[in-house]
Amino acid sequence: MAEQELSQTPIRAQSTETPLLRFAGKNFEPLPSGALFWHAEQTLLVADLHLEKMSSFARRGQMLPPYDTGMTLVRLEADMRRTGASRVVSLGDSFHRDEGTTTLSEMDRARLDAMTDMAEWLWLSGNHDPRPHALGGRCLPALQLGGLTLTHEPQRGASGLMAGHLHPAAHIHIDGRSSRRPCFVHDNRLMILPAYGSSTGSINILSPAFVGLLHWPGLEVVMLGKDRVYPVSPKRLVRG
Amino acid sequence: MLLKPDLPPVISNWFAQKGWAPREHQLAVLRSWQADASALLIAPTGAGKTLAGFLPTLVDLAEGNFEGLHTLYISPLKALAVDVQRNLNAPLLEMNLPIRAETRTGDTPASKRARQRTNPPHVLLTTPEQLCLLISHPHANLLFGSLKRIVLDELHALVTSKRGELLSLALARVARLAPDMKITALSATVALPDLLRDWIAQPLPGRETQLLVTEGGAPPVLEILETEQRLPWAGHSANYAHHELYEVIKQHKTTLLFVNTRSQAEMLFQGLWAVNDDLLPIALHHGSLSVEQRRKVETAMVAGSLKAVVCTSTLDLGIDWGDVDLVVQVGAPKGSSRMLQRIGRANHRLDEPSKAMLVPSNRFEVLECEAALEAVAERQQDSEDPVDGGYDVLAQHVLGMACAAPFASDALFDEVRLAWPFRDLPRQQFDRVVEFVATGGYALQAYERYARLKRTEDGKWRIANAQVAQQYRLNIGTIVEEPMVKVRLIRGRLTKKGQAERPLGAGGRVLGEMEEYFFGTLLPGDTFMFGGEILAFQGMRDNEAYVTRAQATDPKIPSYMGGKFPLSTYLAARVRRIMDDPSSWDKLPNQVSDWLRLQRDVSVLPGRDSLLVETFPRGTHNYMVCYPFEGRLAHQTLGMLLTRRLERARARPLGFVASEYALGIWGLGDLSALIRTGRLSLDELFSEDMLGEDLEDWLDESALMKRTFRNCAIIAGLIERRHPGKEKTGRQITMSSDLIYDVLYQHEPDHILIQATRRDAARGLLDIGRLGDMLRRIREHIVHQPLERISPLAVPIMLDIGREPIYGEARESAMADAADELMREALSGPGPASRSRGAT
Repeated sequence: MAEQELSQTPIRAQSTETPLLRFAGKNFEPLPSGALFWHAEQTLLVADLHLEKMSSFARRGQMLPPYDTGMTLVRLEADMRRTGASRVVSLGDSFHRDEGTTTLSEMDRARLDAMTDMAEWLWLSGNHDPRPHALGGRCLPALQLGGLTLTHEPQRGASGLMAGHLHPAAHIHIDGRSSRRPCFVHDNRLMILPAYGSSTGSINILSPAFVGLLHWPGLEVVMLGKDRVYPVSPKRLVRG
Repeated sequence: MLLKPDLPPVISNWFAQKGWAPREHQLAVLRSWQADASALLIAPTGAGKTLAGFLPTLVDLAEGNFEGLHTLYISPLKALAVDVQRNLNAPLLEMNLPIRAETRTGDTPASKRARQRTNPPHVLLTTPEQLCLLISHPHANLLFGSLKRIVLDELHALVTSKRGELLSLALARVARLAPDMKITALSATVALPDLLRDWIAQPLPGRETQLLVTEGGAPPVLEILETEQRLPWAGHSANYAHHELYEVIKQHKTTLLFVNTRSQAEMLFQGLWAVNDDLLPIALHHGSLSVEQRRKVETAMVAGSLKAVVCTSTLDLGIDWGDVDLVVQVGAPKGSSRMLQRIGRANHRLDEPSKAMLVPSNRFEVLECEAALEAVAERQQDSEDPVDGGYDVLAQHVLGMACAAPFASDALFDEVRLAWPFRDLPRQQFDRVVEFVATGGYALQAYERYARLKRTEDGKWRIANAQVAQQYRLNIGTIVEEPMVKVRLIRGRLTKKGQAERPLGAGGRVLGEMEEYFFGTLLPGDTFMFGGEILAFQGMRDNEAYVTRAQATDPKIPSYMGGKFPLSTYLAARVRRIMDDPSSWDKLPNQVSDWLRLQRDVSVLPGRDSLLVETFPRGTHNYMVCYPFEGRLAHQTLGMLLTRRLERARARPLGFVASEYALGIWGLGDLSALIRTGRLSLDELFSEDMLGEDLEDWLDESALMKRTFRNCAIIAGLIERRHPGKEKTGRQITMSSDLIYDVLYQHEPDHILIQATRRDAARGLLDIGRLGDMLRRIREHIVHQPLERISPLAVPIMLDIGREPIYGEARESAMADAADELMREALSGPGPASRSRGAT
């Protein structure tokens, strides 16, 4: 039956296999969750987890659902298992506030402890969580790994730099339809990862926050879909 | 013959001086008051309802020894409260009665509001929101202790909304503070008056509540515009009728032209001015125009200096416009009761017939207008019934009651059940709402230390601190505005690329406000219609949309989002009956009856109780068109669910479009063949179980559900309202309500706020209730008609493709196509580079 249907379908270019992202001479696997797996280094990269963000509103009388931390950790744990990574690097803003490391629920704390035992953990500091903490793993301001620099904030004129901080999203228009989703974006010198946390918003990569950071020739954009990622042409990008 | 109640001489003399006699229903209200009963007065516009409502107060206070608040008058509109005060003060002055009547609205100065609490007038005219503020005050018992009467105006308009739910809770509290008080409710004619009577009787158990019905005066004179023009297949602009309408306007003193949406108002206004050779004063009135602009129109209207006003539902209720001698409904009438009320806006004298005209904007609407004509002639009512209460509204009320004084759960629960919408509230749900107010009500008890409500030693609930009360007052009410942005007109021309030549300048006139999401769909250079002119979008800055005047004659972006009100079930049934009965076609315009005959010849007609499903190929796609006549919202939901099922059946659906009458789905699979060979069963496809798992899957990601959730979360106080002007100070740090919904739906799909959201979605944007009724009705009554080509009846919905928003798995498919495109480029080298917005 499936064959019959296929025969009625115009032949279209298929791109179902997981695309590899080539950045600064290295290969990465972008995951639909927003994590980036660096096979050669057996390292899973994530940015902007913003753990304990929702609970941070409660002090001001807004009792938002206290489940975002758990959701983020469950996804991350699944990515760790799926890739078998032996190292996890969290590129800053791992916690929405420094205090977040102390407000974790018992369950989330246990889950996180198990995860930091499972692999080598490196917490890079971010503007939301500048101070080191006592959770499993090591806290660092930045990291050199496999010839690349990993840090929280992107910098102008960098080369071989991987960062987060900006929560990039792409908005595309095609044939009257549109889609706006978080994305990986790089120009072969700077790579900006999407925000991984379940409670994080996003910023269009055409907005002023990105001006001067990325160079259009060589720009590569990979959007996060439900079960796969989609590399898209920058010419389809629109604002908003 | 009923006994005539005694009027105090001062009042009977006043009637005599005016040369009037009190009307029977006015005396009936007085008799009910004297018999110690509440009353629901149902009377048509122009029957002197206001005086009827206040007559007992005048009689009771005529002697002049009363201290304190005697009568509380509640109106759905601030403007109506002000207008009624004016209408009340005139006779008070003429009779020289010692009665003080004051309004209290959001515009009342704080000092006056404070004074009203300590030294109240005899009659206070206000809105449901202000009443909530008053009863949340710690000294509410002092203010309301003396209260004798509550007058509820336009009750039919309040009870179908959350404002009505909130009002019912407030009434339950006032009934406790003032056990002697009686309620007089005034309402237009409704389908089920007994329900409305129960609604006002509930807070006063043991008190009699009389139902007083005044039959309408002269029957309205209603006709459908007879046109020489060709009736359009689709669309909502009624462009064809502008010349003929203009002639009609000329022949009348003042014409009120009602439309269903803001963009229709824009198009009609533009169209009438295009033919306005005599430069008649024709004005525009809708909710998005600036307040000053609206006031200007209203003032000119009262002064009688306007020839016509094009308006939306903003003028449905309220103020007496005096000299309107014709009401025109352009576009679908939607419902019989709605139509009757709009017609009532013409000629406020009871004994003269109101005159009205219906102008269908497409052929299906001709059928709907015909159905409305019959229904109005029979005075059939299809008004919405009062609604049951939502947990979001209850949560707001619970917090308000804690602000007034610490409460015991048992006592507040008993009181809440005296509000009609909450009469069957289970105790368990009430307790969950209290938990929600206190700590968010999560299974995971994370917020005890931040609780907004805390337990006192004697087990009552009190607010944790004064800041909670302050937050409550800022958040009061159930009207949640869509996030709006100001539309500011700047100077500057467009370059070829659609960008403003110069940097966007500040200054310029504010034309009004529009929903933020609308601008989310625009690109710089896109044109749209607003305030009667075509504008080009230039960009967003500081929460304002900058626009320039555009040279274009047609706006590029249709902003028609559909009306708020779907076609009533009652009218829908009548439309199906007309189609099913060729003997009734002779009253239709020839163009329309010819169309139906053609449909009968080449396909079949939709039956009275069945569902017609046509399938046919066209171009490279295959189409399925069905005709449920259940309104756009229910059709959208049906379209979402059917495309999911078709996907599973490997019919490869690509998208769908929904109108008030029909639903069209297109895809790659040969639907006729799939059905013929039994690989696709329509009975299974349309089976009710789509409202089970498929619905759940979709709700998980539905944007409509998220919008509904946002409203509930704001009303319930989970997230703060955006207060205009405060965004910039950064004092309001906001969290996207979409993200909150995602997290909550996944972890606690049974949370009290998700329950509230589902209830609202079911009867609101998703209209699941109506869809369910339809699926049950058509079960095993599906008529499949495979066709070689498009049928006459399918033409309108096919034309809507491209005009109406298209749905489908757009988010994912847009990305997939963009990815395929990139792949093709990579394989074939540089192709024809296009920087436009797609291949349109």
